[in-house]
Amino acid sequence: MRHFVEELEDLQGRLLEMGTLVESAIHQSVQALEERSEELARQVLGNEDRINHLEIEIDELAVRLLALQQPMARDLRFLTAAIKINTDLERMGDLAVNIVERAMALIQRPAVKPSIDMPQMARTVESMVRKSLDAFVKREPELARSVLLADDTVDQLRDTIITELVSFMQDNPAKIPQGLDLILVARHLERIADHATNIAEDTLFLVKGVDVRHHLEPNF
Amino acid sequence: MALRHFSIELEELHALLLQMGELVESSIRRSVQSLVERDKELAKAVMRDEPRVNQMQVEIDSKTTRLLALNQPVARDLRFLTATLKINTDLERMGDLAVNIAERAIALINLPAVKPLVDIPKMAALAQNMLLKSLEAFVRADADLAQSILPSDDEVDALKDSVYQELVELMQRDPVTIPAAVDLIFVARNLERIADHATNIAEDVIFLAKGIDVRHHMADHPK
Repeated sequence: MRHFVEELEDLQGRLLEMGTLVESAIHQSVQALEERSEELARQVLGNEDRINHLEIEIDELAVRLLALQQPMARDLRFLTAAIKINTDLERMGDLAVNIVERAMALIQRPAVKPSIDMPQMARTVESMVRKSLDAFVKREPELARSVLLADDTVDQLRDTIITELVSFMQDNPAKIPQGLDLILVARHLERIADHATNIAEDTLFLVKGVDVRHHLEPNF
Repeated sequence: MALRHFSIELEELHALLLQMGELVESSIRRSVQSLVERDKELAKAVMRDEPRVNQMQVEIDSKTTRLLALNQPVARDLRFLTATLKINTDLERMGDLAVNIAERAIALINLPAVKPLVDIPKMAALAQNMLLKSLEAFVRADADLAQSILPSDDEVDALKDSVYQELVELMQRDPVTIPAAVDLIFVARNLERIADHATNIAEDVIFLAKGIDVRHHMADHPK
C-alpha cells in the first residue's frame, strides 16, 4: 500500500480536479445564459457525468482512508472535511446544470432586457467559489473568512434582482415565463454561494479545529 | 474502549438523528400549515426552532467525528458513521427549507390570497412521509424501506410542475397576483427540494446496504 501522506495528497488532488471542473461548469453556465449559447450549455451537460463519477471516486477514497489508516486529529479533520466538500461540489455542479436548463428555456423565447445586477451576482458567486477552493487548498483562514462576508452581498443582490423581475413581469405579462426563469437563475446562483460558504466553513474547521457554522461558540 | 460502549454510543447517535428528524418534520408540517391558515404566529414559531435544529446538527457532527476518531471503527460501523455525516447535512438543509417556507408564509399573509392551496399541502404530506421513512430505513438499515420512498419523489416533482403551470397561467391572466404567485412557486420548489433531500437519505441507505458487501470483500482480501 502507498504511503498515507501520498494517499492524502492524491485525495486533495482529486478534490481540486473536481473543484476546477465545477468552477468551469458554473462559469460556462452563466456564459451560456448571457450569450444565449446552446453550444456552451451542451458543454456543461457533457461534463456532468465526469463530475458525478469523480464524486463517487473521492468518496470511496476518503472512506477507505478512514477505514484502513485510522487517522487521528488533523488528518481525521481533513478526511471528514473532504467528504463534506465533495458533497458540496457535486451539488454545485448540479446547480450549474440547473442554470443551463433555464438558459436553454430562455434561448427558445424572445430575449428580455439584460439586468445589470445578474452579471454582478454571477461574478461575485464565481469569485466566492474560487476563493473557497483556494482557501481550502492553501489552508488560508483569512481567505475563507472573506467568502463568509461575500455571502451577505449575494443575498442582497438576489433580493434586488427578484424585486426588479417581479415589477418587470407586472409590466410585461407576456414575458412572465422569462421573468420566472431568471428568478430561478438568481436562486441557483445564491445556492452555489451557500455551498461555497460551506466549503469556507469546513476550511476554517480544518485549519483551526473550530466550528464556525451557525455562529456558535467554539465547542472544541 | 469496550465494544459494548461503542454500540451504546451508536444507539445514542441513532436516537439523536431521529430526534432531529422529528423536529425537522414538525417544522415542515407547521410551515405549510402556517401558509394554508395564514397564521403568522405559527410561522414565527418555526423560525424560532431553527437554532435548535442547527445546534443538533453541530452536536451530531461532533459526536460522529469523535466516534470516528476514538473508536477507529471498521467496515459496517464506519459506513454508518460517514453516512451519518451526510444525512445530518441533509436534515439541516431540510430545516432551512422549512424556515424558507415560513418566511414565504409571512410575506404571503401581507398579500391578498390568490388561490385555494390544494397541491402544496399534498406535496408537504408526501415530503414529510418521505423524511420519516428514510430515517427509519437508515436506523434499521432497511434498503427495501428506503427503496419504497423513491416513487414519492416523482409524485412530488409532478405536483411541483402542475403548481408551476397553474401559477404561470394565473399570473398571465391577472398580473396583480404576480408577487404572491412567485412566493408560492418558491414554496413548491422548497418542498420539492425537501423531497430531494429525503431521496438522498434513501439513496445513502441503499448504498450503505451494498457498501457492506464491498467492505467484507475488502476484509477478505487485504492488499
